[in-house]
Amino acid sequence: MGESANAAAAKSVSDELNNESGLKPRSLWQDAMGRLLRNRLSIVGLIITMILVIAALFGPYIAPYAYTEQDLLNVAKMPSADHWLGTDEIGRDLFSRVLWGARTATLVAIFTTFISVIIGVLLGALAGYGGALADNIIGRIIDIVMSVPGLLLAALIAVSIKQPIVTWAEAVYDRSGFPLFADITWLDLLVVFGGLAFVSWPGYARLIRGQIFSLREEQYIEAAKAVGVSELKIALRHLLPNAIGPVIVTLTFSFSSAMVLESSLSYLGIGVQPPQASWGNMIASNIGSWSYRPWLVAVPALTLAIVTLGINFLGDGLNDALNPRSKRSI
Amino acid sequence: MLKYAMGRLAVAIPTFIAVLLITFTLTVVSPFDPVAMMMSQFEGTLDTLAREEVIERIRDQYGLNDSYGVQFTRWVQRLLQGDLGISINGQRDVLRMIVKTFPISFQLGLAGAVVTTLMGIPLGCIAALRQNTWLDYTIVGGALTFRTVPVFVLAPLLLVLFVLVLGIMKVPRGWDGLLQTKVILPVFILALGPLPVVVRQTRAAVLEVFSMDYVRTAKMKGLEMWRIIIRHILRNALIPVVTTLGFIAEGLIVGSIFLDSIFAIPGFGGVAEGAFRGFDYPVIMGVTMVSAIMIILTNLLVDLIYPFLDPRIKLE
Repeated sequence: MGESANAAAAKSVSDELNNESGLKPRSLWQDAMGRLLRNRLSIVGLIITMILVIAALFGPYIAPYAYTEQDLLNVAKMPSADHWLGTDEIGRDLFSRVLWGARTATLVAIFTTFISVIIGVLLGALAGYGGALADNIIGRIIDIVMSVPGLLLAALIAVSIKQPIVTWAEAVYDRSGFPLFADITWLDLLVVFGGLAFVSWPGYARLIRGQIFSLREEQYIEAAKAVGVSELKIALRHLLPNAIGPVIVTLTFSFSSAMVLESSLSYLGIGVQPPQASWGNMIASNIGSWSYRPWLVAVPALTLAIVTLGINFLGDGLNDALNPRSKRSI
Repeated sequence: MLKYAMGRLAVAIPTFIAVLLITFTLTVVSPFDPVAMMMSQFEGTLDTLAREEVIERIRDQYGLNDSYGVQFTRWVQRLLQGDLGISINGQRDVLRMIVKTFPISFQLGLAGAVVTTLMGIPLGCIAALRQNTWLDYTIVGGALTFRTVPVFVLAPLLLVLFVLVLGIMKVPRGWDGLLQTKVILPVFILALGPLPVVVRQTRAAVLEVFSMDYVRTAKMKGLEMWRIIIRHILRNALIPVVTTLGFIAEGLIVGSIFLDSIFAIPGFGGVAEGAFRGFDYPVIMGVTMVSAIMIILTNLLVDLIYPFLDPRIKLE
């Protein structure tokens, strides 16, 4: 009897909570949207991000030329009516290549963020829930990964796994003739994803772990526990919605830093290989001639700078909008 | 104190060993096969039958057929003797390459760290004292601007701006010691990388100290503002700023990787960049380890001096 009353009480409480969480998120999101749109910088960021997304999705259709198409009569020309941003040292249209580069950067950023969020959330949750030992081990792994500069570690991993992966892919192609492995340029991207994801998951793991530890102390969680709501339900109903704000903010920031890391790797010749267009390798191949063909360096460099800035403005705005109680952070 | 120091060391050493393990494991799966490298020199002079045998003999001779554990311990022993191996491109001693270039980068990095602190602390202070005004937003926003924009984007843009558009400087190239005008731009660019961390930390620390009772008392006693800031606020606010040293070190190392070749500085970063471009394995490993050592040591140093600055941290 007592038990069923308990269960009934728990059910009615959880229904109420249900109800609450059915209504509240909407108003929360509307609130957040309002706060976001009141901030001028974050509107700028939002616009830049939208342009990036459009360029990434439709860039190849908008681009007047293909990214490898050479106009050998107009090599290294200043911007003109035919070539809006000029042509590079072997006559390729810079505007088209910047658009293709947007696709590369976005692709890498999306996949890297996706992979590292999954790893980070899983390990962070394990650290938060798995007891002291799991917490210690994961904490130590995070310390180790973070003690090497992210770029160096990503570069080291990318350099190491590249050749084995290529060899493996070639072997697979030789044996199966699977058409996917005929052209292995996409493997460069895979290598970059791997390297970048490996260095960026600790941020998420730390965040999730911290959220679990701090939210667990909240009174509404205690209340939910007291009426007998199961751990899983608490995690899904209460922890997750409350942790999602900071996660979205971190997502935005790590999206832009993944882009920067990708360009850095490509700049060093480890990431996306020419002739594939990446803003990083475009800067790298023209940096030596900055003094007499400045636009060849300035265009990809400015694009990268503006895009990362825009995404960071958006992230900052989101931070203010989603975590209004937190102090403004830079 | 000794106990505390040992405790910190006990954290630093396993971290370093783990870095060694990761680095070594990555080379095991890596494409670099030193024997194949050697054999390529004799291409065409050995017949194919003997070739396999020779390769096997060489692998035995250099212990490449030993187990992973044996190879790892041997590798660590060599490291302890200062043997980082020979570079693939140019067959040069890796330790020598690093030792030769490191002082230059160290000077540049030190200058960069000084500039970062000299810019970051006043800026963070001003931002905090003028919290939520346009000045605060400008400083915070400006720092944000440089948070993610990488060196290889900033450097060419500033070069184009200063040399081509404004024409206020000649092309800064090369290295003739620290006290040269051509060092200004590289140092400035290096300093911008870690600047946001310093600004943010200073701003937060000053804001925290600002609401303390002793500051209110000082204000009530009618002390001038600058005296309060220097005597009471900065003194206490600067302590947490020390913790940014690790970030500064990391920012400077990563920054110099891109900076050196752009400004033709024969530094540590240039060695790293060349190694990555040429897939020069031994050099990449050496560079990564030296960087990791620098960062681990910096963090250890911070841990060790922090209790002296802030006695509230217990020496346990």
